[in-house]
Amino acid sequence: MVEEQKRKNGKRNLRGCKMRKILFLLFIFPLSVFAGQIGDDVEYSGYIKNEVWFRTNTDTSHQFLTSFKNTFDIGIEYKINDDWTFFFHPRYFYDFAYDIRDDDVFDRNQEIMGHTYQDEWLRDCYFDYISDNLDLRLGKQQVVWGQMDVPILDRVMPIDLTNWFLPDLADMRIPLWMVKLEYSPWVNSTIQALFIPDFEASRVAPPGAPFSFAAYNAFYDLQQSLPQIVDPGPPPVYLNNIFVDSKTPPGQFENSTFGLRWRSMIEDLEYTLNWLYGYSTSAYLYTDPTVSVFSIFPPPPPGEVNSDGYRSRRHKRIQMAGFSFAKTLVNPGPFEGLTLKGEFAYIHDEPTYYGTSGSREMTRASDKYNWGFALEKNIVTNWLVNFQFLQFIADRRTMIDPSTGISYRILDTSTYGVIDKIENVYVVKIMTDFMHERLKPEITIVYQDDNQGRIVPKVVYELRDNIWLKLGYAHFFGRPDSSNGQFRNRDLLMFEVKYTF
Amino acid sequence: MRKVLLFFVMAFLSVGVFAQELEYGKVYPLKAGMGADEVMRVMYHNKYSLFAQDYFLPKSKVLYVDTSGYTRTKIARRYRIIKEGKGGISYKDLIVVTYPTEIKGLAILTWTYEDFKKDQNVWLWVPSLKKVRKISASEDDDAFMGSDLTVEDVSTRRFEDETYKLIGEKVFDGYTFEHTQEVKSKGKPCFVIEATPLKPRWYYSKRLVWVDKETGGNIYEEYYNKKGKVFKTRFIEWGWYKPETKKYPMQIAIECKDLRTGHRTVIFNEEQEYDQGISEQNFTVKALMRSRW
Repeated sequence: MVEEQKRKNGKRNLRGCKMRKILFLLFIFPLSVFAGQIGDDVEYSGYIKNEVWFRTNTDTSHQFLTSFKNTFDIGIEYKINDDWTFFFHPRYFYDFAYDIRDDDVFDRNQEIMGHTYQDEWLRDCYFDYISDNLDLRLGKQQVVWGQMDVPILDRVMPIDLTNWFLPDLADMRIPLWMVKLEYSPWVNSTIQALFIPDFEASRVAPPGAPFSFAAYNAFYDLQQSLPQIVDPGPPPVYLNNIFVDSKTPPGQFENSTFGLRWRSMIEDLEYTLNWLYGYSTSAYLYTDPTVSVFSIFPPPPPGEVNSDGYRSRRHKRIQMAGFSFAKTLVNPGPFEGLTLKGEFAYIHDEPTYYGTSGSREMTRASDKYNWGFALEKNIVTNWLVNFQFLQFIADRRTMIDPSTGISYRILDTSTYGVIDKIENVYVVKIMTDFMHERLKPEITIVYQDDNQGRIVPKVVYELRDNIWLKLGYAHFFGRPDSSNGQFRNRDLLMFEVKYTF
Repeated sequence: MRKVLLFFVMAFLSVGVFAQELEYGKVYPLKAGMGADEVMRVMYHNKYSLFAQDYFLPKSKVLYVDTSGYTRTKIARRYRIIKEGKGGISYKDLIVVTYPTEIKGLAILTWTYEDFKKDQNVWLWVPSLKKVRKISASEDDDAFMGSDLTVEDVSTRRFEDETYKLIGEKVFDGYTFEHTQEVKSKGKPCFVIEATPLKPRWYYSKRLVWVDKETGGNIYEEYYNKKGKVFKTRFIEWGWYKPETKKYPMQIAIECKDLRTGHRTVIFNEEQEYDQGISEQNFTVKALMRSRW
């Protein structure tokens, strides 16, 4: 019955998908033909992109064709006058992989992963006021903090982790409606003030998707296995359902996010001081009391107790304070040309999972101290080498459950694997170019504690001014309960064609 | 005796002016009889437009042409403010790429110091990250934006990086601008100077520079390898920016050919302007973050 319903839903969705495909094609082609500039005040450009991702080591849980995604993106800038500009930037994608696969195998994630999610099609929509000392940006936008490529201070925006960290960070950030004000009392010194009444939760892939978290998959599997005995009794206790309630902060002024950043320079040392106050963009799972239920129809077998479990995903108030710096050694010497960058963030009251390996037992607020530094240098003419070291430090390695007295270890949020109080991350990135910057290879290696990480080489080739090709590979390694290791069977070959206008 | 003394005093004063950096905000004409060092100081003064307060190039079109004639295009805007040594900085440069769309918005902010030994400070706005990155200055021998010009050809080579020898004063034969098949700068009187890099094992052993006596611009250069063979040529068409009372030399078009690969880079600078009162606030990290692309 359930399978039939799924199939019917699938066919209904497929019909909708075909309509969307037609509309999509009708929409993009005329625009690509008429791309250019309208007068002196309107400028626009964009792209049509096709991405195909193949899995190279398939297992039974995932399909060979991971993604066949087509994206249309256009940015339109309208210069109202010398001071004011309006910028509008929609983007829409449709993933044909769900259609190309066997019709009988309707993928339950199509509605979430198959096309642009809710109102995320609007990437930017803002008014810009620019003057010598004061800049104001009003509307939907992205704000980026920090110096590192791995986010430490970059916590203002929610992020979309449905494809882990494979997309560009600008594409992972979920834009928000906000007011951004930048005032420069003098040259090279700026105070940035943020008022963000909007709230969006960071996104993760739904269970069963190529990059869904192990913890999510396990929870989904648990839900599918219900009802089951959770206490043999006597009397035996059955868990019938687990209900999950997602709670987002109410849309009130006091729930807004506020941020301040001071950026300045001492000689040629650039630094920032940052402060952020608002709700965590990530939702954290809490266990609410289990409720015994009595069902009249059908009546429970004699001597059994039925129960429902309740969980809630909640966002909690957090506060972050930190700093960043960057400096290039410009004076002659052995380190001339070396760029040093670093940042630190203290996060107060961030929800943290504690439990045993594979099992979250409780969620408690704790403080975090995250920091990192980077070294970067161009060597041998045009090889850029970047090394980054980061530490994510929790204030407590263990937490005692006051009701049972049991001590639990800190867990990885995505896998519920046990992690250390201090997690170390090493990143090496090497980039170069050939053929007059027509061919650009690069490799990123991320290595973390417990011998886990990912290696992502890719190469971009400019076929024409307006046609770009990209070939990449993502290799994941590590234990299955580690953040990268959970994807160890999901190595990908990625191919991309981009037509820009 | 008096004449001899006067000659030495004049010669000393003349050397005194050119032995140090030329003054900002002035245009220095070239004169017959000048030495190689004097000529090259003026040439660098003009190259980096140190005679002006600021510089705006709304459209610089760069063509990358391979041996088959296939052409790629990049278009950029360029801004420069002359800091005249304040804070040790000679000038600040901002380049914003406007084409191709794939890298539209890419912006590079560079601070160049008076002290020629100092590296540049460089910031990059990366559209794919929507973020400003502090980066290390490119190596001097790296290709400038993938062109046949090196980074030092465009922005880091300084007077102090080479030694100079005057080969002679000659009339330029003219250069056939391959892109238009037009013969340019024919008959211009020039100083011909041999410049030898101080860096050991550098990518060129010497270059011959034709400096136009009228504009003080380096209209033609030949780069020689260790075997004494020319491997690269660069032609620059110089002209004048002449609004009202001002008369500034400026680069109008460039053609640089790599004779080893047959690849060439052609640059057209359009609608250049000087002294427009560009604010220094435009040469800050904040200004880079204004980018919408």
